[in-house]
Formats: sequence, structure tokens, C-alpha cells
Amino acid sequence: MKIYISGLYSGTNPQPGIGIARSLRAAYPGATLVGVEYSNRCSGIHWQDFDEIVLHRPWDELNLDAHAREIKRVLESGALWVSSIDLEIMWFASLFPGGHPNLLTPSLAALNQVGKPAIPAHEYLPVKIPTFVTTELSDWDLHAFCREHDWKVWLKGPYYEAVRVHGWGGFQDMRSVLSSAWATEKLFLQSHVSGYEESISFSAYQGELLDCIRMRKRDLTELSKTWAGDVSEVEEEMLVPLREMIRRINWTGGAELEMVRDADNQLWLLEVNPRFPAWIHGATITGRNIPAALVEGASGVKAEESVATGEEFTRVVLEIPVRSEFPLSPLPEPFGGGIGHSLKHPSGLLQFANRLHKLDFDNGQVSNGNGSKSKNQPTIVPETFVDDLKEIDFSDMQTPASLFLKNTAADYFARAAALSKELSTDEIEVINAYSFKTNPDERLIKLAHDSGFFAEAISLLEVKKALAAGFKPEQIILNGPAKWWRRETLPDASFYTIFCDSIEELNRVIAEVESGELKTEFLGVRLRTPNIRSRFGIAIDTPETFEELLETVKRIPEECKFGVHFHMASANVGVGQWWHLFESILRWCGSIEALSGRLIEILDVGGGWFPEDLGRNSGEKFRKAIEMIPEFLPNVKRIFSEPGKALAQPSMAVAMQILEIRGQNDGWREVVVDGSIAELPMYFFYPHRILCQDANGGGWKSLNRGKTQLLGRLCMEHDIVASNVELPSTAEVGDILVFCDAGAYDRSMSYVFGRG
Amino acid sequence: MYLDAAKPAKETVVETNGNGFHKPAAVYEKWQDWYASEISHHGAMCCEIAREWITSTDFSELGGASILTGPRWLRLKFNWGASSFPIYWCEAVRKKTLDCGALAALASAIFTARGVKNYRVQMVQRFSEASTNQWSNSWNDTSEQLRWMNDDLIYHEGCAIAAGDGEIKIWDPSAGWWVDPKSKDGYGGLLAVRLSAFNLPADVNFTWGKHSLSAYQWTNIN
Repeated sequence: MKIYISGLYSGTNPQPGIGIARSLRAAYPGATLVGVEYSNRCSGIHWQDFDEIVLHRPWDELNLDAHAREIKRVLESGALWVSSIDLEIMWFASLFPGGHPNLLTPSLAALNQVGKPAIPAHEYLPVKIPTFVTTELSDWDLHAFCREHDWKVWLKGPYYEAVRVHGWGGFQDMRSVLSSAWATEKLFLQSHVSGYEESISFSAYQGELLDCIRMRKRDLTELSKTWAGDVSEVEEEMLVPLREMIRRINWTGGAELEMVRDADNQLWLLEVNPRFPAWIHGATITGRNIPAALVEGASGVKAEESVATGEEFTRVVLEIPVRSEFPLSPLPEPFGGGIGHSLKHPSGLLQFANRLHKLDFDNGQVSNGNGSKSKNQPTIVPETFVDDLKEIDFSDMQTPASLFLKNTAADYFARAAALSKELSTDEIEVINAYSFKTNPDERLIKLAHDSGFFAEAISLLEVKKALAAGFKPEQIILNGPAKWWRRETLPDASFYTIFCDSIEELNRVIAEVESGELKTEFLGVRLRTPNIRSRFGIAIDTPETFEELLETVKRIPEECKFGVHFHMASANVGVGQWWHLFESILRWCGSIEALSGRLIEILDVGGGWFPEDLGRNSGEKFRKAIEMIPEFLPNVKRIFSEPGKALAQPSMAVAMQILEIRGQNDGWREVVVDGSIAELPMYFFYPHRILCQDANGGGWKSLNRGKTQLLGRLCMEHDIVASNVELPSTAEVGDILVFCDAGAYDRSMSYVFGRG
Repeated sequence: MYLDAAKPAKETVVETNGNGFHKPAAVYEKWQDWYASEISHHGAMCCEIAREWITSTDFSELGGASILTGPRWLRLKFNWGASSFPIYWCEAVRKKTLDCGALAALASAIFTARGVKNYRVQMVQRFSEASTNQWSNSWNDTSEQLRWMNDDLIYHEGCAIAAGDGEIKIWDPSAGWWVDPKSKDGYGGLLAVRLSAFNLPADVNFTWGKHSLSAYQWTNIN
């Protein structure tokens, strides 16, 4: 019997070829095992169990037609072939769409049933699939997905590689790296599932399950790959549907179901690898030789019985002699000034992937989490954006220019005011407060004032501005770590609330209230709960601080009522995390009220909401939150909400003009605009929707993803105001581009730079 | 584990198990009369503040995860080492080091605050004489074996949570992991376990993996 085994890479993220060979050697001592590789840097070619090694040229050099003929010849000769290279298996599936009796890999139809991330065949199994979206969605939608999943998301390549994404900047960088490496935009984002990793490995031949085992990871490499594990039987409740799934999709070959079991015992299926796992010989050690079952099932030749030498396995590192016929190659020269030798994927798999794209496998990659296909969808902007832009005369405009979207702003403020009214109950009044720092533009302040908002100020200069804008002192909430800056402007009136940022400040304010130097109806604290990275508020992460806080709160003069403030940007921590924080704050407040004896009568909850997050089901969520408050804090009379970012962000845009359109290089081109990151300082934190006019200077439409980079006017390397956008082919120098969503910190934190 | 109230060990019969380890007939005999550790309350605000701080901190640390998640953050806050009993809430939360009994008592209070039904767990584990000698030296001024050790065996505490119909999972707060019901005899292996809880009827049985455990009864695992 002759068995070809391909995929012998044996680094820290190994292919399973060596494990398969060890297992088959144990089962078939007399068989001829032929190792197949595409790089002499794959150290598995030196493994002793192989009787022969066939070393092909790397995939990027390989003549695929000739190689296909050779494989057909091998299979026709009666030899079996077990592949452990995902891409090779896909290619085989295209060569043999209906399979070949001696080719022990799945057919194209079967592969399509297990393509990640959708894995259609999962429906047969008692598992769930973590939510995912294709990165072909608009940046605006991708950012929303990340917020919805609290930035606990993975960016995954089409075949291999997954990187954890922590923020928008990191996402953009990694998308660029993976897209470039795999020559495709078809990546996907998938939500993280916390839990313990376990796998099922099985072998099947023509739809019949031959053997399977369950393996729990017990030690991991830095890449979360198995280093040690325990092996056990697949439980009946999984085994029966697994057998059914294999029959339905007519599977042939080895496979691995990679799963996570969460704290509630739910299994989440991350991937189905169409091959044995690299740890497969670990199962053989425990007496379950899964590769041998495959060969026996396909050939009818009985395998030697496996002998269990343990129920658990682990790995060690071995040094072995190099085969004299395959001497080691020299190390490549490090790139000039570079670090390391860059030896990843030595067999040219990246280039092979590029060649495979042209075969256009439909393996579920381009569907989104709802199962619908979506390809380069245009970003949708509110109709009011377009209405506002129609009213603006761009002909004599000096760009870059900030645009006030009047109707949009009015609409957002009106909706916020209506929502607070709708959420108010007989017991609890919900009031909006406008955070002046978000954008101190007079037009927005007037809208806030006219909409019944309170004013939230972080300095006495902002207090002065609020008073000048018509807010009464009893409508002003003072916040922040340096709220007494410009003390000489302190008004001789009573504030509505002062929230202290430290125990030291609380002590000082108590003293000043007692002496009559300060007047305020409410005196409160801003809290920083454990497990939150923030520089603001009183950190109650030690029992000592907590006790000191309680003692200080007890000393707040009786004439002041007590309140608590918490603020965390939901756009940064994620929507779910924000709501958890809210509930966490309620618990802390309940403890503070019970232990200090001071009633909490107002609660101020910020903020940093993305407009869509505040709009999306927020009414229902806020209603539930308000219903929850009396359970923890029965004395709260007023809730302050700070939707400043959600209201200001969509209310302004930045108009930029194209200065230069450079020549194309492999479809990519650079375009210089007269705007810059000085006008869009939040560029690195979230995407901005970009509009351009159609060829006739008429309607506005949003830019899709494409191969153009918009370079800012500044002589700064990082002044790139948009990457991967698609400008219309008719775009010309002088055309206007409108960057939306620039009305919050983009506006208030914009700076003067490069203007002489 | 360290308990001032510990009673002297009784002589035990020694036999050999399948793995070649010497195994007393009742590995738990030395600790038969030990109770699960408790954190005491002064009945005053000092301890109430401490307890509120622990449970509120736990909710913050949970980060929105399932309430069945093990409170691993406790071991980031407290090192594992000797504690002396009685220990009060107001003392425990300020310690840098707590033993397995104190950590288990905190974990139990946390699960209770989350609304998760839980039980105290006493365990006997095997390590090695080299390990117990190390602990004797680092926990004592002398190298004399401590009362929670018996040659290569140690007494240990944890916390079990209800995880379904009569099923439990056992959390080891000192290690920060769920104890494997398939635990084998050998270094770190679990040999015996006992469950208890306030107001728990004596005739209750639990399933832990393939093991059946009766309340208040030591059960040999390996």
C-alpha cells in the first residue's frame, strides 16, 4: 500500500502531515509513506516515518496543470492521498469535483457546506456560530459591528489567520495587512466567544463516519494552538447529528470541528477544517487512530490495532537529522534595516491563494451574519444630510470648510428631546444635558437650550459661555477634573450640580459649601468602577478608597442633595459593555447609599454615544434601564443623559476639494485633497461617511470601498484622510468631497496647522 | 490551607493504587473533622463595607460575562499564601495574601451575590513531598509539616456551583480554574472531595462528571 501525505510544515503552527504519518506508520508498518511538500524549509520532510519524499517547487512557481496530471497519475496507480493543506484540498476539489476513490479529501460540494464563517452544515449540529460580517460591508457598518460586540472581535483571513481587533485604527491596519497578504477584500469580522476550546476530529469515507474523538485543549501555544490535550469519546448528543451531517454532505477525509464551550455550556463552532488536525497523533496515543480508520475505510486493508498509552498527550520539541538528499538552504538576507528573515509560508501558500481566487470558490465567505450576500454595499446617509447639502452653495466656498447641517442638527436635537420626554415617568424625570466641550458652536448650544437641555461644563469658562447663551445657573452641571479653572469667572449663583472627580476635590468643595463660598443644589461624585481604564472619577478599586469615599460622602452638608455621575464613551467600550457598566454603577450606588446613609437623588449617565447606537432600540433599552433604577436607587428623581456626541457628530461635515489626481499603479491611486487630519482629528477613531456629487454636479452619493487613498494637504506621513475608497471615474481636480460625521470632537478638537 | 482549629491526624492504613502511588485507605482521614473555612463578620459597618466592596467589584469585573463565570480576578487581587483564622471581612479584603479557605469563602460569597446556588468544597489533593516540603518552609519558620499536609497529600478548599439538574462544577479559586472531574491520581490530582452548605439537607446527592457525591460525605475520586 502506498499513501501520499502532503502538508509537512512543522513549525509552531504546524500542518498535520507528521502526525498523520506517525499514526499511519503505527497502523500500517509495511506501507510506503510518501511525504509531499512544496518547500524544503518545511522541516517535516526530514521526518523518519516517510519512505520517500516528493519535493515540488513552491506553489507560486508550480505549473498547476502539470501538477494536476501527476496527481491523477498517482491516484490512478492505486495510491491513496491524504492532504493536510486547506488550499490544496480546495484545489483538489476543483480537479475532482465528484471526488476520486483514492483521494481522501472532501468534494467541492462538501467543502462548500463547511466554508467559514457561515459553515452551512452547522445546522445539523447542536452548536451555534458566532456572529460575523464580511469586511465587504461599508466601514460605517463594520464600525457598528465592532461597537455592538464591545470591540471583542476577530478579523479573520479567508483561509488562515485571525487577529484580535481592539480599535478602529488597529482594524484598519490589520485589514490592510491581511487583504494584501491574501490578495482579497473577502475577510470577515467575527465576534469573540469566551470559553474553553475543544475539538472533534473525525474521519469519514463517502458519507460514512468511520471514527471520531473529542479533544479538549489543556495547554496552548502563543497562537492558541494545541500543545497538550485530553481525548475522550464524542458524547451521544453530538455523535448522532455528526453522523447525520457527514452523511448529508457526503464527506470523505479527515476533519476537525474547532469549537468553544462557554460558561453556560453552549458550544460555538468556529471552523470546520477539511483535514485532520495537527495534534491527530495525540489521539492515536490514546488508542484512537483516526487516520488509520480513514485508510482502512477507503482501502479495506485492516489496520493494526491501536494501543492506548494514555488518555492525555502533550508535545515536546525534537531535533532530528536532516536528510542528506535535502540539505538545508541558507537563510535569506534580512531586508535593509529590517529585523528577522521573514520566513512565513515558505511554500508560497499566499501566492497559491491568489491563484485560487480565480477559481472563485463559493464557500460562504461573502455572506454576512444574517446569511444574506452583501458585496461592497454603499454607505447609507440620512436624507437630511442630502437636503442640507442641497442648500449649501459650494461655488465660492473656501475649502476646507466646516459645514453646518441645519436640518440634520434640528432633527437630532428634537428627537433627543422627544425621547427624554417619552422616557420620563411620574417618579423619574429624564433630562438631557449638552456637554459644551463636544462642540461649543453657538448654533448647537442654541438648539440645546431651546430643546430644554441642561448645560454640562468642564470649566468656568464654559459656565460663562452657558450663562451668556441663556442657561440659568440652576441648569448648569459642573464636571471634570479641572472645573475650577479660571476661578475669577466663578458666578455668584447656585449651580444645579457639582460632580467631584476626586475625594480631595470633594473635601475642598464640602469646605467651600460650608463656608458659603460655593452654592449648589446637588453635590456628587464621578465614579470610576474597577475593571475600567479611565483617568476620570474616584477609583473605587480598593476597599480603602471605597471606605474613605463613604466617610467623605457622609460629611456632605445636609443642604446639598447627593448625586452620582458616570461617563464612559460607548463608542469606545462598546454598547453591551456600556450597559453592563450602567448596571454596575447602579450596584455601586446602591452600596454607597446603604452604607453612607445619603440618598442618591440624581444620576448623570454619559455618554460618548454613536448617533446610530442611541437611535437603535435605545428607547427600549433606556426604558428598561429606568425601570431598573428604583430597584437599586428608590430615591432617584432625575436622570441626566448626555447625548452630546450623538447629536453633534452628524450635525456638521467638512468639505474638501481635490487638488491632484495621481496616476494609477495596479489599480491603486493617490488623490491629494486640501483638507487634512487637522480638520478630521477623529479620523483614526471611527470612519467618516464621504459624499461626492455625481458627474453633473447634481445628487450626492457616498463613496464605496475601492483602491484610492485620499492624502491630506499636510506634510505629515499620517495625514491620510481616507484609505480604500472608490472615487467616481469622472472625478476631477476641483471636485468637492464632503466628509460627514465631523460635528463632534472633529470640530472642537480641530487645529490650525500648515496655514502659515 | 491553615486552620487553628485543626485536630491531630489519626493513623491511616496505606495501600498502593493502580498508578503506583501510596494511597491511604481514607486519604481524607486527617481532615475528617475539619470544617470549610468561613470569613467572620464583626456585626459592624467595617465588615459590611468590605463585603459590599467585594460583591460590587465582582460585578464590575464580570464585564457582562455569564454569572457562571469563575471569579478569577480574586487571584489577581490576592496572592495565595498563609492566612490565620478567624479572619474578618474587613481584614480579609485588605490582605495581600489569602489561603485557599479564605479565597473559597470569598468565591462562595460572590456566587451567592450573583444569585448562583453554590456549595463549599473540601478536597484532598496529591502533590509531591518536594512540594509539601517547599510549602512547609515558605509558610513556616520551621520546616515542620503543616497540619494541612500529610506527606505528599494536602487539604484544599474550593467552591461548587449548581450547573444543571443535580450537576455541579467545582471552582478552585486558588488556581483560577474549574477542577476537572476526570482528575487523575498524580501530581496535582484530586483524591477526595466533600460538599457542604448552610441549610443543605444531608440526603442530597450531586453529580460531578461521572461521580456521585453525597452532601457532607467525603467521596474518593481516584
